[in-house]
Amino acid sequence: MVMRKRLLALGLAVAMLVASFTGCGKKDSANTDSSKTSTVSEATSNSGSDAASSVIEARKEEAAKTGKYQKVVVSFFDWTGAPAGLDRVNAAISEHTRETLGLDVELLIIDSAAYTEDIKLMLSSGEQVDLFSTCGPGYMTCVNNGYTADLEENGLLATYGQELSQLIRPEYLDACRVGGVLYGVPPIKDYAIQTATILIGTEYLEGANYDLSKFETDELGYYKATWDDVDAMFAAIHEAFPDKTVFSTQDNLLTQGSCVDNIAGDYFGTLLDPSNSLTIENVYESDLFKEWADRAYRWNQAGFISGDALSDKTGASARIKSGAYMAMMSQAKPAYQNQINGECGRSMTIFDVGESFMSSSAVSAFPWCMNQATEDPIAAMQVLNALYTDPVVANLACWGQEGFEYKVNDDTSINWPDGINADNSEYYPNVLWLMPNQYAAHVWEGDPVDVGEQTAKFNDECPVKSKALGFTWDNSDYVTEFTALKNAYEEFGPQVVYGFVDPATGLKQLNDALYAAGLEEYMNAKQAALSAWAEEKGIK
Amino acid sequence: MSRKKESLNDKKTLKKRLIRYIPLYIMALPGLIYLFINNYMPLPGLVLAFKKYNAKKGIFGSENVGFKNFKYLFATKDAFVITRNTICYNLAFIVVNTILAIFVAILLSEMLSKLKNLYQCLILLPYMISMVIVSYLVYGFLSTDNGFLNNTLLPLFGKDPINWYMEKKYWPFLLTFVNAWKVVGYNSIIYISTILGIDRGIYESAAIDGAGKWMQIRKITIPLLKPTVIMMTLLAIGRIFYSDFGLFYQVPQNQGALFAVTNTIDTYVYRGLLELGNMSMASAAGLYQSVVGFVLILGANFLVRKFDRDSALF
Repeated sequence: MVMRKRLLALGLAVAMLVASFTGCGKKDSANTDSSKTSTVSEATSNSGSDAASSVIEARKEEAAKTGKYQKVVVSFFDWTGAPAGLDRVNAAISEHTRETLGLDVELLIIDSAAYTEDIKLMLSSGEQVDLFSTCGPGYMTCVNNGYTADLEENGLLATYGQELSQLIRPEYLDACRVGGVLYGVPPIKDYAIQTATILIGTEYLEGANYDLSKFETDELGYYKATWDDVDAMFAAIHEAFPDKTVFSTQDNLLTQGSCVDNIAGDYFGTLLDPSNSLTIENVYESDLFKEWADRAYRWNQAGFISGDALSDKTGASARIKSGAYMAMMSQAKPAYQNQINGECGRSMTIFDVGESFMSSSAVSAFPWCMNQATEDPIAAMQVLNALYTDPVVANLACWGQEGFEYKVNDDTSINWPDGINADNSEYYPNVLWLMPNQYAAHVWEGDPVDVGEQTAKFNDECPVKSKALGFTWDNSDYVTEFTALKNAYEEFGPQVVYGFVDPATGLKQLNDALYAAGLEEYMNAKQAALSAWAEEKGIK
Repeated sequence: MSRKKESLNDKKTLKKRLIRYIPLYIMALPGLIYLFINNYMPLPGLVLAFKKYNAKKGIFGSENVGFKNFKYLFATKDAFVITRNTICYNLAFIVVNTILAIFVAILLSEMLSKLKNLYQCLILLPYMISMVIVSYLVYGFLSTDNGFLNNTLLPLFGKDPINWYMEKKYWPFLLTFVNAWKVVGYNSIIYISTILGIDRGIYESAAIDGAGKWMQIRKITIPLLKPTVIMMTLLAIGRIFYSDFGLFYQVPQNQGALFAVTNTIDTYVYRGLLELGNMSMASAAGLYQSVVGFVLILGANFLVRKFDRDSALF
């Protein structure tokens, strides 16, 4: 009896603990590789656009017979989860694509916080998602896990994505190849960045009576400044507004503040001079990083940085929006003013301090990919083609429906219809930069109407272009080192970056920890892969 | 002959018993189904820990790589720190939480006030709060510039402000305290129910024999709680290689300067794999934790059985 009671108690206790074991998995559904390749090869026997239109005709006939249209699901993230008007927008897109492609399109928009997990689960569980943005899970992760389809298998891209393949330059497509295979198409955007852009709330500069007339402006119309100017301005606004914190920090001094190439996606072994040299070096021992560390330490000592900078996880621009902070650093591009004013909730003055830079992974950071398990790769490719080249589809996906979410001005730019704004709009994903082709859609009022051409020029004229553009590296044989390096950086890196330790001791601690974690081996492996890649491509 | 008859009899009674308990089995069914789906069905997926996962090939079709996925858990100098932190914190939690939970349970069960239920609810409340929110409550106390401690409490005693998120030495105590605050109410429920199940007659006769409250608690309540304590401790030992991720990641605000005392197996794996998204390595970590937990729970039970057969779980 005692025994049984105890077992009952055990059972109860286990039942309570079960809650902490949760986690459910779905098994992979076997995919039907053979059937899909046969349809592809069948279709490629006809040539080019004939093949494309005959597939569309066949689809329409099928739909006329069954009364049901085939559906292609496209997934990406936004900041607030599925917008309220998503069904309406999907219906509008489908109405159009039934005509042009003979199929329905469903945008599946997921909250940014959940997207990475959700999309991985969908890709490995056989749920329908045909096209997806790799912004979130990461391009290399998707490729390494085998989620992505070869876009050129049996001439898929050339036959069914003709306009798309002509739209994107071969060099940018090449940048997305992994081991020679094209798994993704880059979104059309600014690949180059204007590094080390200092943003200061205009009202604070005015409050400090700071004279801006001495600054010249650069090609993009932003003030050109030096670090000494920045120091002087910070000191001035600090004096004028002693109750506010001057600098809203984030760990971006290498990513946004320098032209150091984080080759293969991390800073453990970098190209310090990416436009001239292919030698992998440790950035944390470089003069450049030392200079940054000294600057951060100086700012911290001067009281420009909050004592909570290390633990406060609020976004840099959100802190400025709150009114307690005055300045931040980020990266600029053409038509940046509208975006940053919106993010910071006030007018910001932009100072261009660094150079413009295109890193090796700039183009391949988050291409659009096709699920390897997609049932009809041809249909998916045609939808991808439409997302890049069909203005109707691009407008609906980027901005929603005319009359509901936007109205068109005389100069083709758009703005909110009466009574609608960012808060009550039923479709406002606000992720233009990850959309396939934002320039196929309207331009928001206030940004230059020719922002597309400006951006192309900005990309072309970028002075510091990494020689390793398009180099990718699968680090899965060095994950032990990578995990240890990551932990070592998190332990000693941020306090240097935010200026909480004297650089003399902080940098030594950081580098000692990194070398103990295997930085040497990691860098050697990276160098070997890079040298082999360069030799193959004939780059010296 | 007689032997056969006996076993037949046994079968008959077994059948009878089964029929008699059918309602109970039906009652248990949803729980059992849940347990099966959630805990048994994913078991074959454990092979993932020995594979190089590729979605194209599927879990079972992926390439076998042996123990390679486990290497990162042991190969670096961090392995010692994270294992030490995980085990030592859990041991501390087991001891502190058990003592506090029993203390609270006895207090509550001896209480005659009408507010007893209110107290019980209040003490349970922290358990219901998400760790993310707890981390901000803690932050409210410890924030360097705006925290309650640095701005109000420490100046009151004429002490200098402390940069809490940079000082390692406070965190073992802070984490133990936060953990206890959060779970003690919940743990005490089990002890309260055990105490309520104790025959009141024992207390009455003890009172007649002149035993005071303190004596009753010492000689009756605590000894009768022993089997429950042992059971709860054994279960906790099975989880000793896991750590409460929220507690060790969110509450110290993922602060690098504190890693030496806050990095556990779970947070280490999380930080390392966040960007890689490598399912096989995550499974390897999970498998390692459960195997060690399984061995420990068997070992602990074996020891208990050796010293006190009746208290052992199985």
